[in-house]
Amino acid sequence: MKLRMALGLPALVLAGLFGAQALALDLKETPGLEALGYTGLPPVAERVPSDPLVVDLEAQGRKIGSVGGTINTLIGRARDVRLINVWGYARLVGYNDKLELVPDLLKDVTVEEGRIFTLSLRKGHKWSDGAPFTAEDFRYFFEDVVSDPDLTPSGLPPFLLAGGKGPTFEVIDETTVRYSWDQPNPLFLAELALSRPPFIYRPAHYLKQFHAKYGDPAVIAKGVEAQKVRGWAPLHNKLDDMYNAMNPDLPSLQPWIRRTADSDQRFVLVRNPFYHRVDPAGQQLPYVDKVIMTVADGKLIPAKTQAGEVELQARNLSFSDITVLKQGEAQHGYRTLLWPNSKGSEISLLPNLTVKDPVWRELLRDTRFRRALSLGIDRDMINNVLYFGLGQAGNDTVLSMSPLFKDEYKTLWAEHDIEKANALLDEIGLSKRRGDGIRLLPDGRPLEIIIETNGESQTEVDALELVAETWKEIGVKLFAKPSQRDVIRDRAMAGELVMSVSTGFENGIPTADMPPTDYVPARGDQLTWPTWGDYLETAGKGGEKPDWAPAARLSELYQGWFTAADTSARETIWQEILQIHADETIHIGLVSEVPQPVVVKGLENVPDEAIYGWDPGAQFGIHRMDEFWLSSAAK
Amino acid sequence: MTGPQHPGDASEHYVDPAPFNPHVTRELTAEQERYFQASQWQIMWWKFRRHRVAVWSAVVLILFYLCVPFAEVIAPYEANTRDSKFLFAPPQGVHLFHEGSLRTPFVYPMKAKIDMNTLQWTYQQDRSKPMPLRFFCSGDKYEFWGLFKADFHLVCPPKGGSFYLLGTDRLGRDQFSGLIYGARLSLTVGLVGVAISILLGLFFGGIAGYFGGIVDSLIQRLIEIMRSLPELPLWMALSAALPVTWNPVWIYFGITVILGLLDWPGLARAVRSKLLSLREEEYAQAAMLMGAKPSRVISKHLLPGFTSHIIASATLSIPGMILGETALSFLNLGLRRPSVSWGVMLNEAQNISVVTIYPWLMAPVIPIIIVVLAFNFLGDGLRDAADPYK
Repeated sequence: MKLRMALGLPALVLAGLFGAQALALDLKETPGLEALGYTGLPPVAERVPSDPLVVDLEAQGRKIGSVGGTINTLIGRARDVRLINVWGYARLVGYNDKLELVPDLLKDVTVEEGRIFTLSLRKGHKWSDGAPFTAEDFRYFFEDVVSDPDLTPSGLPPFLLAGGKGPTFEVIDETTVRYSWDQPNPLFLAELALSRPPFIYRPAHYLKQFHAKYGDPAVIAKGVEAQKVRGWAPLHNKLDDMYNAMNPDLPSLQPWIRRTADSDQRFVLVRNPFYHRVDPAGQQLPYVDKVIMTVADGKLIPAKTQAGEVELQARNLSFSDITVLKQGEAQHGYRTLLWPNSKGSEISLLPNLTVKDPVWRELLRDTRFRRALSLGIDRDMINNVLYFGLGQAGNDTVLSMSPLFKDEYKTLWAEHDIEKANALLDEIGLSKRRGDGIRLLPDGRPLEIIIETNGESQTEVDALELVAETWKEIGVKLFAKPSQRDVIRDRAMAGELVMSVSTGFENGIPTADMPPTDYVPARGDQLTWPTWGDYLETAGKGGEKPDWAPAARLSELYQGWFTAADTSARETIWQEILQIHADETIHIGLVSEVPQPVVVKGLENVPDEAIYGWDPGAQFGIHRMDEFWLSSAAK
Repeated sequence: MTGPQHPGDASEHYVDPAPFNPHVTRELTAEQERYFQASQWQIMWWKFRRHRVAVWSAVVLILFYLCVPFAEVIAPYEANTRDSKFLFAPPQGVHLFHEGSLRTPFVYPMKAKIDMNTLQWTYQQDRSKPMPLRFFCSGDKYEFWGLFKADFHLVCPPKGGSFYLLGTDRLGRDQFSGLIYGARLSLTVGLVGVAISILLGLFFGGIAGYFGGIVDSLIQRLIEIMRSLPELPLWMALSAALPVTWNPVWIYFGITVILGLLDWPGLARAVRSKLLSLREEEYAQAAMLMGAKPSRVISKHLLPGFTSHIIASATLSIPGMILGETALSFLNLGLRRPSVSWGVMLNEAQNISVVTIYPWLMAPVIPIIIVVLAFNFLGDGLRDAADPYK
């Protein structure tokens, strides 16, 4: 599957197509709304915007479905209920399955000079409680939430800053708002399309009652007491979280909403009768009436899935469950789809370049050493043993589906060549060996690399065992140390971690217009360079300035990406970043594009071939879960 | 002996009119003769032999323990030898008849294929080509007892073939060889802990019970303190603190020693209470009055009085240690690859659903059940035998 990513930021004009279709549309009333507990709703023509988004099912090879039914799915913990807002994926602008950025909640976006963004809303668009969704909701967020020192003490978030300064916000009319910065802000639209977006619109009509500026002090005082918080600001922050699906009273624009907060073991998400998307036959989406999420122990989810208890499941299923899931297919009438994971690598060894120990620090920063380690791994063998050969053996980098992909990124220093690896290690001066053939460090310690794992995945430990086998031939001893995620992060920050194993880059299918945050020192939780990442994240207040040439260059390129004039300039930057990663082997990736099992029972319009990822992808989000429908047998 | 007199038999003294002849004794049968002349240990052995189940258990245990010194020779493969061509291979049967004719034991070669529909390894036997197993042969190299290099095996896979008696695991490691090597660790490392706890229990219980008074009080308080130590956090702290580069066998050995050091109070209390009562017996008093030293009184006169109890608790705590190994593995404290034990293998077979497809991964359960049961039966037999005069 080759993805086409033609779209540059200044050219977001696709929306016009949809408007024309809408005129000829004959809307059909959604059946069964009363059964879902909705009474006294206006007719469908008044519920959807006057220019609704008409999805083009045919273009995607999908069929027009029928309304109704329930999707059962399992989650590992109660707070995963927020996934409904990920899977729903109603965003101001969002990625489609070709990873093009297209308007969704918005009718249109126009971008001038990469710095002036005019957002047009749909006329007659309504919140899930029937109140109109207008420019006022954007104004409320910008002026009364994100600019309010009580509600947002940290000030404007990075995506609202360009060159360190915030935008000028204007309300043009009831359905048009404009953000203008002095400099280009390439992060803005990309951020709005995330799985966890910064909701830059809030239901003002509902939230004003809790805002000190508008609300009745008595109501606020009552709310503060009921929620057991310390003041109006924490109360407001608690009630206006559009992501975590914890406040059932908060109006939403997503396809499914939580209407009651009755249980923390089973969540019933029902259709939003004011949703803005309709199918070509005039039926309002989503097709499915209810999504029921049941909390189950993570280890039991594969077994419960195999028993046919779910209609749609991917979470908590892993590659090693595929055989079991396939076994149950015939008996329980589901299908197991295999969607390649969009991460840069399924398993990636991460040397900590900012480790405290001076001997290790010098060695890990030596390019030849990392190359030797990479050459000492038989990736094809690992792919065959652990993944039936279904993955792609190669470096941790962008996948072949990404327009930025070059073959070299995947294969450079990734072949299995013991001789070359040994030659490199000898060249570094690690030629002294212990009796059992393990090399000695310059200070006489044996070359024993302790790789810490979060202990959640047996496959990771198995992979390490396979790596250890071939590393022995280059005189390197590997120990796998099971630990916990948080412990590893703390140890990395303290400089005690030498190497860890984890999944690779989160976004393996970037386009030039997506920020290269994963690939450069940008965050403190990056295990290859925690202190450098911290330095950039805290703008120099914490961590250390990168004092290693490739890392310094990467941060420079990252800054450059923000000020780049257009897509082609950004692409040049991306290519250089990827080239540095390939040359320097900063992450030692093993296998990528490993299939993620997705179990589907009686659901139509679920693509057989698709990618599975978080950002971009939102798991089922970019495959448009609101277009999935249940065949009559499954209802 | 004639006419035994029972107290309360008659209200008056009965006097046998016949004169007492000291030379007349009851005739003993040869059997009785042998019994009365036998030593305590001989009687115990006779008694034990009559306990059929215990005898068989002992035989089984001896067979298992034979694997301990000779694991390298018995196992056809090295415990961590991996074969990427045979992942999740099913048990490979040993055959004797090929097309109706008797041959030396042989296996049929297997060929692995991935079934892309079910994403499962499937294996096909080639029934036309029997491959004879080799006996007393050279196979995987090993270092025997860490002393010298060797490659001698009792049985080896056929040349160019494979021999997976109990199938292979997800990385293509032979399950049967794993079990043999696993026996070495599972059956021995726990013994040390048990031995330590029994010795300590006897010592502290012995002096507390014999001397009583201040010694007793001190030891009792010590026991109470030991009992109140929370063990789980201790293990967790240890698992975080111990360097991962240490040999896991030694780490596990160390843990069993610590377990033994913490485990003695139960036995010590039982020994103490038993001693408190036994030391008041006439034979013990007599020994003391005759000037025997405390150590002699305790070990010669008092301890044999409750050997049965000690034996029972020892044989019962060995299976406890074997099962405990599996539990410790959950805390990442037990053994780890490359060390192999039954607990390690079972831990790897935790995924219930995988086991439904590859049931041979549960193989280590069988020896564990057998050994634990055998130890319990053996302990039962030994306890009965240890009280021969009852």
